[in-house]
Amino acid sequence: MTLIKRFIYSQKIAPYVFILPFVLVFAIFWAYPLLNSFEMSFQKVSLGQESSWAGVNNYTKLMGDTVFLKAVGNSFIYMVITLVILIPLPMLFAVLLNSKFMWGREFFKASFFFPALTSVVVAGTIFRLMFGEMEGSMINNILASINIEPVKFLKGQVTGLIALVALATWRWMGVNMLYFLSGLKNIPDDYYEAAAIDGASKSQQFFKITIPLLKPTSIYVLTISIYAGLAMFTESMMLWNGNNSPKNIGLTIVGYLYRQGIEKNNLGYAAAVGIVLLAITMIINITQLTISGMFKKEEQS
Amino acid sequence: MNKDKMMKIVLFFLFTLVCILILIPFYAILLASFKPGGDLVRYGLNLNFDLSMMSLNNFHYLFTGKHAYFDWFFNSVVLTVVQVALTLIISATVAYGFAAYQFVGKNFLFICVLMIMMVPFEILLLPLYTLTNQLGLMNTYSAIILPGIASAATIFFFRQYISGIPREIISAGRVDGASEYGIYVRLILPIMKPSFAAMAILNGMNSWNNFIWPFMVLSETQKYTLPIGLKTLLTPYGNNYDLLIVGSFFSIIPILILFLSFQKYFIDGMTAGAVKG
Amino acid sequence: MIKRWLSLAVVVSMFAMLIACSGGNGGNNGGNKGGSDAVIDGGADETATELSYWTFVELHGQLFETMLPKWNTANPERQIKLNVSVMPYDDMHNKLSIAIQTGVGAPDIADIELGKFPDFLAGTPQLEPLNDVIDPYRDTVVESRINLYTKDGKNYGIDSHVGASVAYYNVELLEQAGVDYTTIETWEDFKQAGIKLYEETGKYMGTADTSALWQLSQLLAQQGSDLTDDNGIPQVNTPEAIRALTMLKDLQDNNVIATIAGGQPDTEEAYGEFNAGNYATAFLPFWFMSRYTNYMGELSGKIALAPIPVLEKGMPRSVGGGGTGTVVTKTAVDVQLAKDFLAFAKLTEDANIEIWNTLGFDPLNMNVWEMEEVTHNPENTFVKYFVNNPFDVLNDIKSEIEMIKSTSASPTINNVLGTITLNEIFEDGRDVTEALNDAQAQIEQELK
Repeated sequence: MTLIKRFIYSQKIAPYVFILPFVLVFAIFWAYPLLNSFEMSFQKVSLGQESSWAGVNNYTKLMGDTVFLKAVGNSFIYMVITLVILIPLPMLFAVLLNSKFMWGREFFKASFFFPALTSVVVAGTIFRLMFGEMEGSMINNILASINIEPVKFLKGQVTGLIALVALATWRWMGVNMLYFLSGLKNIPDDYYEAAAIDGASKSQQFFKITIPLLKPTSIYVLTISIYAGLAMFTESMMLWNGNNSPKNIGLTIVGYLYRQGIEKNNLGYAAAVGIVLLAITMIINITQLTISGMFKKEEQS
Repeated sequence: MNKDKMMKIVLFFLFTLVCILILIPFYAILLASFKPGGDLVRYGLNLNFDLSMMSLNNFHYLFTGKHAYFDWFFNSVVLTVVQVALTLIISATVAYGFAAYQFVGKNFLFICVLMIMMVPFEILLLPLYTLTNQLGLMNTYSAIILPGIASAATIFFFRQYISGIPREIISAGRVDGASEYGIYVRLILPIMKPSFAAMAILNGMNSWNNFIWPFMVLSETQKYTLPIGLKTLLTPYGNNYDLLIVGSFFSIIPILILFLSFQKYFIDGMTAGAVKG
Repeated sequence: MIKRWLSLAVVVSMFAMLIACSGGNGGNNGGNKGGSDAVIDGGADETATELSYWTFVELHGQLFETMLPKWNTANPERQIKLNVSVMPYDDMHNKLSIAIQTGVGAPDIADIELGKFPDFLAGTPQLEPLNDVIDPYRDTVVESRINLYTKDGKNYGIDSHVGASVAYYNVELLEQAGVDYTTIETWEDFKQAGIKLYEETGKYMGTADTSALWQLSQLLAQQGSDLTDDNGIPQVNTPEAIRALTMLKDLQDNNVIATIAGGQPDTEEAYGEFNAGNYATAFLPFWFMSRYTNYMGELSGKIALAPIPVLEKGMPRSVGGGGTGTVVTKTAVDVQLAKDFLAFAKLTEDANIEIWNTLGFDPLNMNVWEMEEVTHNPENTFVKYFVNNPFDVLNDIKSEIEMIKSTSASPTINNVLGTITLNEIFEDGRDVTEALNDAQAQIEQELK
């Protein structure tokens, strides 16, 4: 007994004991499913039935699947737009908020952040009602007061996207802003003072000091935004109260995965959708990370 | 001086404006919870403040009506607490392993954790689904909790934190004859307390708002968590908007209270990953 | 100190997990608090077998709730407690599908909506054949309703209603334009009435549905056609379909019909519009009556039922729409008990009377349609609400109720037409033939 005890308690073995619980969970609930997903994508599989080998059939079918391509398009456009809005704007707000000009800084921080705490279900429902077609719906009311015809937001491609982006902006503006705020805290004030002494204007300071030094934060926000944009599903599902938006304007990649996998029980096909999503995400993220040279840094720390 | 003051005012004004925009939806929901649910459908969600139409009926229904709202609430709370506890324990443990030791396979494991961050969870939904089925864990809370324990952000955060602890503490502990585990439990964990708070909040929020996966796993109304329960109020055969709206509003309140009390921890927790990337 | 907290945390978590994992009867305040997930005991004693029942419509649960005590009284040695779970439509079907296929976690009895039923009949159905309990009632119930849920001669589901489609006219609104709904027999009559209504009041006569196939089905059935051919193969671009949608498009162009919030009359946004008197007509199955009584209280005493207009006089004026087959799963804890109870609760004359009284459905047992005391009961909610007696209309079209088949392709057909095609035609103004051809191509592609 003591031999075993001494074994486990030894300094050499201890690390393995420490990492063991995590490794188990990781292996069973992450690594195995991932590999399984990969495997399923080459099969024709349904729950409760035998699976059969399908080679690359699923993938070739995907390439010609107009609905899938639409979903990819939707996800991609959504991602790009959220990047365009949800990186520069929060950064700007963070800088402004951080400057010595602000009153009520804490209050604004808190209130901007608050939407992120609501459940997507609640947020999605609120926005669905706000953008609704009924005579009292908020957004249409506002439009009416500036003499614009009511818009059926949730029925058009562009307008549906507007609603989605509005929802995303509302939720994540605050969070991203806070990310940038903490990034800003790491930039010593002396840099700015030195620059001011050297005669640099505020905007020069912004572009030459702030932006470069915010790089790690920006990269981080960029990475998670790419992920979040491409994998978006719940927001769309809540906005259209289900996975079936008119003409599939709200269908995202994950939405299609859900439709094929759960609603139609084509697990193999759905798995292929998942793998494609993985590939797209990885390619984009690795590209942007390599460009910004983050990889070396990661390995070191 | 004038220029500075003007800037202050302008900025303040700008932020207040944006703030109002952000808070409007909350105000709308607040108002709506005092109006009959049917109105919501007929007239949409708006900011009309009509005292004659408003009442405490919905709230009354919330607390006395025959529905499962508080079951859902309770479930969410329990699930969140358990999931957070387990995640923290396991993440801290593996983080300590990373930070305090060198061992074979360390780099490999590190890359694994990195991968967790890079791979969208949604991809695992389907195989997890079949796995859960095979393990006979459908409609159980274990199925929800277990996959959620692997939280890369938490592990990184803890690892970072532990790296900041001087190595002397560990070696001193060994000299004093403490076991490896004793060192961990008695020396390291107390020092890590502040980081626990932040991570508890981060994981807590994620768990509380978790939707897709529990949605796929649970099939009994009484087991539903709050987000799922609220969604089930929207059916093609009649929506229970009364409960949905007041329930949605009410679900925001505890978060709001927690947030206002522990603001600093919230913000620290949720922005944990950003600082070092 | 930490150790104590740690151990406390571990203990708490384990305890919580234990509660959480111990199934539905665990620490979650028992069953009876949830209105939509309750155990109905119907006066049963401790010897009762508990049967679980999944549905997506609370109302269906109520029917069982009414019939359960009667069963328990009549069958004291085979008493039943019913555990009812109401889940969202898509969700319930998804979970049921998984449970049935894997054989784990399925309820004893479940509702499966007509549109989803073919999925459950694929391969070897994992449902119990119900022929033996249906046989005693076979000549009293509408045969085509049983056939909808049948495969290879085995009946798998029992419906609650016939679901005959009728027109619901807002008489008050029509009177404002001097329109008498009883004179409307053909779509041409309808068109003229609609033009007049729009001129006088600016309101629309009817809806141009974009998210449901009620109207299309009705028009196809009138022409003796269907969405699928005799072999169940989709055919959405037939001349009849084109004629139907072209006619509707013409109505839209003349402001007789218009798209409605929600996409079709059976959504809450639409109820609001009807309640406000913005649309005069809805063409839906008989069960739509309960929507009026539940959601459109302001229209009480203003709505009349009538047969649907036809393209040419002589065409059948109704079609069965919607439907839910209640099934018994192979994994039911007591198969025979479940089957017997199901037949009792849905096929007996008593049950059928209840179906009318509680649910407002046109029951399968057509004998009930003739029972004046039941159908013209002045206390009945529906009799009170509507201007004329619903069964008078029903008996008028009794022999003209067609059926649209439900096949394994139906979900895809419904999905493509209901999300894409109808929107293209009525929102975007796309050419009907083109849109339908595209739909046909897409459906075929998806089913490959």
